[in-house]
Order: sequence, then structure tokens, then C-alpha cells
Amino acid sequence: MTNAKSAQQPWAPSRQQDIRLLTGTAQFIDDIDPPGTLHLAMVRSPLAHAIIKGIRTDEALRMPGVHAVLTGEELVRYAGAQPVVWEHIPNQQPVTARAMAVDRVRYVGRIVAAVAAETRALAEDAAELVEVDYEPLDVVSTVEQALAPGAPLLHPEWGTNVFGSQHYTTGDPAAAWDEAEVKVRGTLRVGRQFGAPLETRGCVATWDRHSDELELWISAQSPNRVREFIGQVFNKPLHSIRVRVPALGGGFGTKADFYGEEVITCLMAWLTGRPVKYIEDRLESFVASAHAREQILDMELGADRDGRIRCLRGRVTAALGGEIGSTGMGPAWLGAIMMPGPYKIPNISVEIRGVVTNRSPYGAYRGWGQPKGNFAMERMMDKLAVELGLDPAEIRRRNFVASDQFPHFNGMLPTYDSGRYAECLDLCLAEIEARGWRQQVAAARDGDVAKGIGLAFYVESTAAGPSRGMNALGLDQSGFDEEWVRMDSTGRVTVYTGHTDMGQGIETALADVVVAELGLRSRSDVTVTWGDTATCPYTGYGTGGSRAGALAGAAVKQAAGALRRKILQVAADLLEADPSDLVLADGRVTVRGNPTTGCTLAEVGFAAYRQVVRLKEGTDPTLEGRAVFDPPAQAYSYGCAAALVEVDRATGRVRVLQYLMSHDCGTVLNPMIVEGQLRGGSMQAIAGALYERIVYDDNGQILTTTFMDYAVPTALEIPPIDLVHMETPSPVIPGGMKGVGEAGVIPGGAAIASAVDDALGRDRTFVTELPITAEHVFWMAESRH
Amino acid sequence: MSDTSLVRLTLNGRSTTVVCQVRELLSDVLRHQLATRGVHVGCEHGVCGSCTVLVNGKTARSCLMLAAQGDGCDVQTVESLADGDDLHALQKAFSENHALQCGFCTPGFLMIAHELLTENPTPTEQEVRERMSANLCRCTGYEGIVQAVLSVARNAVSEDAARERDPR
Repeated sequence: MTNAKSAQQPWAPSRQQDIRLLTGTAQFIDDIDPPGTLHLAMVRSPLAHAIIKGIRTDEALRMPGVHAVLTGEELVRYAGAQPVVWEHIPNQQPVTARAMAVDRVRYVGRIVAAVAAETRALAEDAAELVEVDYEPLDVVSTVEQALAPGAPLLHPEWGTNVFGSQHYTTGDPAAAWDEAEVKVRGTLRVGRQFGAPLETRGCVATWDRHSDELELWISAQSPNRVREFIGQVFNKPLHSIRVRVPALGGGFGTKADFYGEEVITCLMAWLTGRPVKYIEDRLESFVASAHAREQILDMELGADRDGRIRCLRGRVTAALGGEIGSTGMGPAWLGAIMMPGPYKIPNISVEIRGVVTNRSPYGAYRGWGQPKGNFAMERMMDKLAVELGLDPAEIRRRNFVASDQFPHFNGMLPTYDSGRYAECLDLCLAEIEARGWRQQVAAARDGDVAKGIGLAFYVESTAAGPSRGMNALGLDQSGFDEEWVRMDSTGRVTVYTGHTDMGQGIETALADVVVAELGLRSRSDVTVTWGDTATCPYTGYGTGGSRAGALAGAAVKQAAGALRRKILQVAADLLEADPSDLVLADGRVTVRGNPTTGCTLAEVGFAAYRQVVRLKEGTDPTLEGRAVFDPPAQAYSYGCAAALVEVDRATGRVRVLQYLMSHDCGTVLNPMIVEGQLRGGSMQAIAGALYERIVYDDNGQILTTTFMDYAVPTALEIPPIDLVHMETPSPVIPGGMKGVGEAGVIPGGAAIASAVDDALGRDRTFVTELPITAEHVFWMAESRH
Repeated sequence: MSDTSLVRLTLNGRSTTVVCQVRELLSDVLRHQLATRGVHVGCEHGVCGSCTVLVNGKTARSCLMLAAQGDGCDVQTVESLADGDDLHALQKAFSENHALQCGFCTPGFLMIAHELLTENPTPTEQEVRERMSANLCRCTGYEGIVQAVLSVARNAVSEDAARERDPR
């Protein structure tokens, strides 16, 4: 159809999926509508902690249009315990939670029954007719209450409210603390927040009772993992389970976790013999999608008088929910083991604890613990700087791992591959100078509206992770990535990937790799197929942990290389040349030094598929390359965020005026996508620093259940985010890519807190809690006078 | 009183009649009965703006309207923006400025941007930010969206200027 317009250069979108999204034709989960679909509504607990004495479903079942009502008592006959991916803490408690409550509820919003009906509205009507008899129990609303002597136990069989704990030690932290010339202490807090993708979670299941074939469409980041877990929960072999993922309206980790709703939806499809759809509504999302972030971090840093850190001692306490989510206490663990960041710390003692409370389950949100570990560490670095009378940049510089000291064991668990930290800091500082931030701060020094500058350095764990390393840690998960690249009879190329495009643009990044490797004319000659376990290869851990660009990028590069060799062999047959004399560029194969002798990729494709007679005997006509890449080690990105904020002394209101990041994520596949990831992550960092908090009262009742209470920032709150790039290839990833998906969100909280300190005076102010509220800032500003 | 109602409306230029429950939201009827799936439902309480459509030329949250209230109205959704094969200037600018990532909020932003530029072809950056603050985006940090809208406004102005210079 291109003939009419071929004269003029056609407009091309920046990314593969843009046209579908811009015209409204992209298919999201709620657009999946098999004929005869029934709709689910959940009955959720209104109490934070109670025993279920009985459930009456008869009235709901009698309602016309209702097909089934499911309770925990029936569910346990079919479904086993919900899986925990991160079962890596040596003493963590066994988890036996089911997809819905069986005899006890431990948080507001816990599913106690599910109704399948002809429409969602009918299902909701019927859900209101389900009567649940609860016997309320004493509520544990906070970590402090959970740890108090005599506290009510959420899981009495544990004998404690501590789900698990782990202690990492390196060197001799006790002696180093005693000998330290300068000591700083602090308790830092981060509030409860969540990913809040604008499209809520959802799934559509069809489970044929006769063939036993189960097809599950789900808005999730990791179709392979969902398939593994659905099989595990139902004790069902995987070959008869197909998991498909449509366009995702955001993931942010929220859709990396595995939830009860997908189990219930599958079971309801089996019970009713009809396709069944569940779409989480926004109110439900606030209690049913994984909560994250909430932690208390007790920190001690000891240093020499010249500012070199001698020891870090800390205790990280995560406020888990009433049931354990599929991440266990993984995020708290990762945040803790990344806490040393870019600094050389010879002596470390850090304890990590997960404590259960009567709140919604704890799980993944972009950054996965790292924003909290970074907030605590960078706050303490600022405090150490004040103590020593050093500039915040200088204290960091004195402790950086030097660029020639890699690989570097950070003292906890990770070994970093590479980094040029000091140069990256300098780039950020130069940008601050160039923008005249310091002059702005000086001019506002004594005004009603003060200004301040803060910065924070981070190291980001990416390219998760070597399979053997994950297994050694205690996970039954792999970290390898398999990719297939295939050319068709028109010379166009399809990539089959197990990764998921949740908006980050991995479709486009992988297409770019193929274009470069195969010398294609444009990205429009490539389709990237994903989101189907029946047709796409396996990727161990799924899309998360900032791994898709680095791992899939490396695997696609290798697979495309294998395809390239096959293309050249077929072309060699057609051109009666030797493959080593051929050049692949601009969509053509030509003989080196003789560009007029050649053939197009379309001719190669047509011959390989439909005119095999033109190939030599023995030439493999399969135009496909496959590769598996399991990283030998993780790659560690890094960077420095800086914020210029204003603080209204009279009201305590903080605004971010300007924001910038210098960063290095190794080889960049697509600069626009990298910038998009950093900007989006930075926005979520600003949101977490100043605006968003899930609030519970003393009864364990959640008070924030709409976007009117939970303040996702708008275009008026988020300033332009400027970026300064460095590009140092990772030595452990072919192609040199490192991940970037979580980078933006990690350092923002610490940078903004530091800027508020700077505005009000570092000698008087030390922000210890995120999000930073106007009330808190007001009192800090008051105490100045 | 009947619990169904007959709604006659003009949807993207085409006269349409639909029977729906009186309690049904306009957003649900647009999505599930009238197949305008570009109407996205992100919150159902009028905050996120993903479901924004034009009703009689003015933006409205279709999740805050009953379908029955649409009777007799002219409704435009994101599906109306492209002219045949040609994308609307805003659609192209959104892609060029990386103003979308997951794209779930995009239809709503396109509709409020379209309304803004219809009312005010030369908005300032602050005016764009204020209008765009009506909706939520969770992916981009908004800068791309703001720049996309400004670039369309700039191009329209320069095209006008070119026409003035050369009225052919």
C-alpha cells in the first residue's frame, strides 16, 4: 500500500508501539473479551485483623446472572499455597497463604470471597449480598506495635511477628566503631508507597475442563513466571498452560509480583466452564496491589577525621503486610546489600528484618529497596559532611571506589563490575555551576522562600542476575535470557522475546539491536513479538531488576549474529561468492569492493523459503538465530542526582525547581528510551520524596484509597529533568549495556532531603523521613528562630 | 421506571443508537458497546483523566458521566483525531517528543491538548502545564507531553505566518 506515498519520506514514529497507543488501538487487558466472558468481583475484608467465623453465600448465588461464588474453604481443595519467589533469608518463616483468606484476615482488602456473574455490575451487586461473620482481633498497625512485648501475633504459629532476619558482617565493625574518630547516627524513615500503574491489574482466564488447557491473559511483567506459578499452585504440568500478556499500562514492579487474583480467576474459569475476567478497580488497587517502600533504617557511620569511612553499622526494618507477598522481604534485603553504594567501607555490620503488620502485603516497586538504602546512606554522608565541616560533594569524593579498583566487593554481597564515580560526580557539579544554582541559593538565603541544593550518588543493581548466583542465594529462579531472531520471505525480521514491554520501550530497543547487527534499512523492518509463553522463549526472571535492555540486548545481539551468518551463506549461494567476501548493509548483501553485485534481503528471504532449489545442496535454509545469555555477573550502573528546591518558611511547602542527573548505564541502545527511563524514574523519586504516602490509622484502616488522597504529582509539580550522560561499557555484558530502568527513582529522595537541609541550613536541619511533609518542614523552619 | 435507556448520540461523526442500563457510565458504554477502546479507565473517580473525551466540543471525564447523559450529544474520542491514514499533528508530536511510554494515559492527554490548542493556539509553557495538570501520567515525567503540545502550537503559528507571506 506504500506506492502512492513512496515519493515522499514517510513519517515514522519514535518507537515501535507508538502508533497503536496514539490511535487507541493498542489492546490492554480489559480489551481482551472472549465470547461468553463472566466477570469477577471480590468480597474484601473491611477489618484489618479478624477470624472468619462463617460466610453465607446463598443469597448471592440465588441472584439471576450469578454463576459461582467462591470462598477460601472451597479454594483450598484446588489451589495450594501462594508462591514466594524470594525465599532466600535463611530463617524466614514458611508461607502457607492461599489466594484468598481461609480462616483469618490480616489486612483490610484481603479477599474472602469471589463472585462470577454475567456482568461486572451484577457481580458487584451479588458481592454485597455475601455475608461474612468476623470476630475482630487486636490490630498491629505499625512496626513498633508489632515488636512491642506482648504484641498480638499475626501468625501465632511463628511465635513472633518477625518474618525473617539476616545479618551481614565484614571486617571488624565493633572495633572500627570504637576506634572511629568521628561518629554520626540517625534513624531514617520511608513511608508506605506503591507503583500505581495507571492501568490497574487484571486477567482473563479460559480453562477447558475436558482438554484441561488453560489460557491466561494477564497484565503482568513476567509471563514465564506466571506460568510457572500457576502450575505450581494448581499442581498442573506447564505444557497445558499458556500465559499471554497484552499491552501493559505501566508495570513499575507492581505487575512483577504474583497475586491471588490470578489464581482465583483461573479457578473460577474452571468451575464455571466460561472465560472469566477480573479487572482490579482503582479503589481495590490501593489495598490489593503490592505496597512498598515503608522501612525504618537505624544507621551509624564511623570515620577518620579526614572523612574516610571506617565502618557502617545499620539495622533495616521493613514493615511487611499481614500476608507475605511473592517477593518475601526481598526488596528490604536488596536495599540493604546495596547500601554501601559507591563507597569503600572496610567494616560493615547490617541487620535486615522483615516485620509483619496488619497492612497490605509488601512487594515490588521500581527500585526494589534501593531508594531506601540510598536514602539512609546518603543522608548519613551528608551528616558526616556537616560533622567534619566538609562539602557534601567532597565527603563523597574521598570515599569513592576508584575507577581502577574494579571488580569491587561492596562489603555486603554484590561485586561491582565497573565505574568512574568521581568523573560522574564532576559532571553533575559542573552542571550545577553552569546553571547558576548556587547564585540562586545565595540570593534567596534570607528570604521568606529559601532555596537549597542537594545531591545524592547511587549505584544501581542491574542485569539481574547469573542463574547460579540466584540459585546459590536460595531462589528457584534463573537469570538467563533466551532470544530468537527470524527473517521471513520478504526479508523482514521478527524477534521473539520472553521480555515484556510495559511502556519502557524494549520493543524498540531490541529492534535497534537487530537493525545494527543485520544492517537493515530501518526499524520498521523489524517486529518484536512478546507476551506469549506458547510462541516466545523463556526468560528466567522476567522483566524487572533493570535487566531487559542489558540481558535481552546481549542475547538478541548474539542471536542476530547467528542469523547474519545464515543470511550470508544463503546470499553466497545466490551470488556464487564466498560468505567471507560479502557485506551486509542497508538491507542488501553485496560483494566486498563491488557494491553493484549483490542482492536484497527480500531476495535472500524469498530464496530460502520458496526457492530452495537456488541454494547449494547442504545449505541450511532456516533463517533463524537463537541465543541464550546468562550473565557471568551483574552490571552496576551509577550516577548523581541533584535538586534545586525552594522552601516556603511560612508554610513549609517544598517545590523542586530544577532537577538533573549525571549517569552511566554503559552502552546506550536507544538514547531516547534511556532518557525516558531516567525522567520517569526521577518523577517517581520526586513523588516519593514530597507527595505520595499510603496512610493507615491505628485500627489498620487505610485512609488513602483514591487519587484524591494519594497525591500522584502532575505536570505542575514535576520540573523539567535534565540529564548528563556518560557511557562506559560494562565488561561483563557483551555489547557493554547496563540496566537503567530503576536508576531515576533511587537517588531522588536523598537529593531532595539534602536540598531541604541546605535551604534551611545544614547546621540546623536534618530531614529524616520521606515523604517530606509541609508540616514537618514548617516545624524545622520554626526551630531555626 | 425502566432500568434501561435508549441513547442516541453522534460518536466520532457517526449517528449511533445504543441501549444501555441507566446506571452505566459513558466510559463503559463507549468501551464495551461502541468499541471506542481508546477510552481508557484508570480510576473511575475523575482524577486520572485517561477516559477524557470531547462532549459537544468540551472535554469531559467519561467515567463521571452516565451514558444516558450522553443522549443527544456529539462525542469525540481519540479515534477521531487521525484523518484517514494521516495522524493528527498532536499524535505525531507525542511520538517525536517521547510524550508516551505505556500509553495508557495518552488518549486522555491528546484530548485535553486538542481542546487547549483549539481554544488557545499559542499557549505559553505555563498554560500548557496548567492544562496538562488535569490528567495523570505515571511514566514520562510530563516534560515530553508539554514539549509536544508546544511544538504543535509553534508549527501552527509558523504555518500561519508562511500562509500570510505566500497566500497561495
